[in-house]
Amino acid sequence: MGLLRYTAFRVVQAIPVLIGITVITFILANLAPGDPVRLMLQGQEVDQEVIERVERQYGLDRPLHERYVTYMVNLLQGDLGHSIHRDRPVTDLLIQRAGPTLLLVISAYAFALVTAIPLGIIAATRRNEPTDHVSRIVALIGVSTPSFWIGIMLILIFAIQLGWLPSSGLVYPWRSPEHYGYSGYLELAFQTIRHLLLPMVALGTLQMATLMRVERTQMIESLQGEYVKLARAYGVPERTILRKHAFQVAQLPIITIVGLNLSTALGGAVLIEYVFNINGIGRLFLEAIQSLDYQLIMGITIVIGTMFVIGVIITDISYAYIDPRVTYGDRD
Amino acid sequence: MSAEPLLRVEDLKTQFFTDAGTVRAVDGISFEVYEGEIVGLVGESGAGKSVASMSLLRLIESPGEIVGGEITYKGETIFGLEEGPDGELREREDMLTNEEVRTRIRGNEIAVIFQDPMESLNPVFTVGSQLREFIELNRDLSNGAARQEAIDMLREVGIPDPEERYEEYPHQFSGGMRQRVLIAMALACEPSLIIADEPTTALDVTVEGQIIDLVDELQQKYDTSFIWVTHDMGVVAEICDRVNVMYLGEIVEQAPVDELFYDTKHPYTDALLDSMPRPDRTVEELDPITGVMPEAISPPSGCRFHPRCPDAREACKRIHPENREVARAEGYPHRAACIKHDVFGSDYEESAPLENGAGADQQLPASAVDSTSTSTSTSTSGESERTDGGEHDE
Ligand code: SF4
Repeated sequence: MGLLRYTAFRVVQAIPVLIGITVITFILANLAPGDPVRLMLQGQEVDQEVIERVERQYGLDRPLHERYVTYMVNLLQGDLGHSIHRDRPVTDLLIQRAGPTLLLVISAYAFALVTAIPLGIIAATRRNEPTDHVSRIVALIGVSTPSFWIGIMLILIFAIQLGWLPSSGLVYPWRSPEHYGYSGYLELAFQTIRHLLLPMVALGTLQMATLMRVERTQMIESLQGEYVKLARAYGVPERTILRKHAFQVAQLPIITIVGLNLSTALGGAVLIEYVFNINGIGRLFLEAIQSLDYQLIMGITIVIGTMFVIGVIITDISYAYIDPRVTYGDRD
Repeated sequence: MSAEPLLRVEDLKTQFFTDAGTVRAVDGISFEVYEGEIVGLVGESGAGKSVASMSLLRLIESPGEIVGGEITYKGETIFGLEEGPDGELREREDMLTNEEVRTRIRGNEIAVIFQDPMESLNPVFTVGSQLREFIELNRDLSNGAARQEAIDMLREVGIPDPEERYEEYPHQFSGGMRQRVLIAMALACEPSLIIADEPTTALDVTVEGQIIDLVDELQQKYDTSFIWVTHDMGVVAEICDRVNVMYLGEIVEQAPVDELFYDTKHPYTDALLDSMPRPDRTVEELDPITGVMPEAISPPSGCRFHPRCPDAREACKRIHPENREVARAEGYPHRAACIKHDVFGSDYEESAPLENGAGADQQLPASAVDSTSTSTSTSTSGESERTDGGEHDE
């Protein structure tokens, strides 16, 4: 009961934040230099009258606050405006490009978690032994190397030198095998993984390195807890202490990191999509910036901002579900 | 006094090998625990009480190690060394393996209650599940029976509505209630000996009183022996049958509780007792001695208490007294490690009083202030002899 109310409470709390995001984005986009109509015309000489007509058509002649209200009303109906440049609704463009980005980010996180947690635990239990030192160096490299550089290196080694894996594009598992001319779903799955492998590693390495260090620190701290001492004193086998007593407590901060790093991952996806030629939101964002497509830039910024807020809410709520100590503001 | 003690500790030595040097946290202590008695282990923090009690379960973590002595429990050797053919010390044949200590001793024979009830319970599991886990591990009970036992035990230690509280998490319990849970855990495993490591220190005075009464009552009901680790002489007076006073890794006095209070034989015990005229005052508050553990790296020469001892004389800087029987009371020995006593046959009487000793007031803090500096300087140069056959201090 309390948990449901807490969930609702957190969602309501997010509304002012979301409004803030739209206000700032809207103002920034409209204050930026460059007249959108002239940009669209790409230097062609046109009568002032034509320009004014186009501006009226898109409502650009009205004052900023009025335009914001219109924008918000449309936004609430799922309409993120019209990309003048591409002559398509922004919402359509985003929906079309969301799949590849989600596929990339989710698999990168899966890769990071699956590798980081066991490696972090191993490093924690072999503290200051060679394994720990190696993991520390790997983590340091992982944290300090830009993901696009890792991506380029992976392409050079595994795609160009060894020729094992494709260097660009993705195969989407939600399409039919016939679309790609594959023999069946097995090949589709296989090709999906083959294409995903390099960008996933490139994007996931940073997360993996961060999570691995956090996992190590948390496990070390947890293993020094009084409750671990007590468990030992009652003859609990070391295996059980590691897997159950220490592990459960150590996972709580991991959830936070995953939730909060979502924005970093999305930022990383922009570059990775560019390097690997993936038609996701990230690439769309870069293209929008290059062409000063303000409607599109605004739409993507708002979507990413919203996703970040949702990430934080999900983190909080899952924390509340997992950690019994979290209270939801009301006491019994 | 029954013939065979439940637990016998002889010349136990536990050391920590740190970068700064070897810390002799426990330096040759001997004591016994008989069936059904509560034995106090008392001293300031850093005296080695907790290390000593954890050594009994062989729960000393690196860089610490038990390096010498013998621990015998119900005829089994928890720790014991012997000289191998190459002259090196090695573990005795009959010493229990790690696995045996874990399965046969920890929990089901010797259980513990820790100081901090807030930290001792795992925050992400229910109180009941933690209790049940330990019961299942240490007793031959089925899942359902263990649950019932856990609930019964919660009721036994005075937790209202045990069925409901069984499902709750530690943070939903108050400090006193959590300590009751820890007591329930210890008793539920049906051990013969419970080590209570400062179990009431984190609690306020009223709750402390309740917990002590509870333990007193349950101890009589279950006839469990206790080792009660504390820095509080007031608690000792209330609950202990016999007492060991520890100072810098050594036991300096050992006696039945009344004897210790009314016929004190060691100046350190005197000082501890002097520091407790008010029941709300603890030794720590009176004597904010810092850096005690570093002192255990290089303890003062001779009697380790001499830089702070009001009775100290020249001879005390030279002679390192062992804990010797100086009297007998209630069928138990009264031991003290102080060369004032005749049994040591030292030249104490003839030697000159030390600065801090002569006429210095009896309060600990005054002499404690300069003890840190003097102790380090004297120990590096001073060579001391032991009363037990002139053995030299390292
Ligand atoms: S041996 Fe000397 S210094 Fe030590 S306690 Fe006795 S009188 Fe004090």
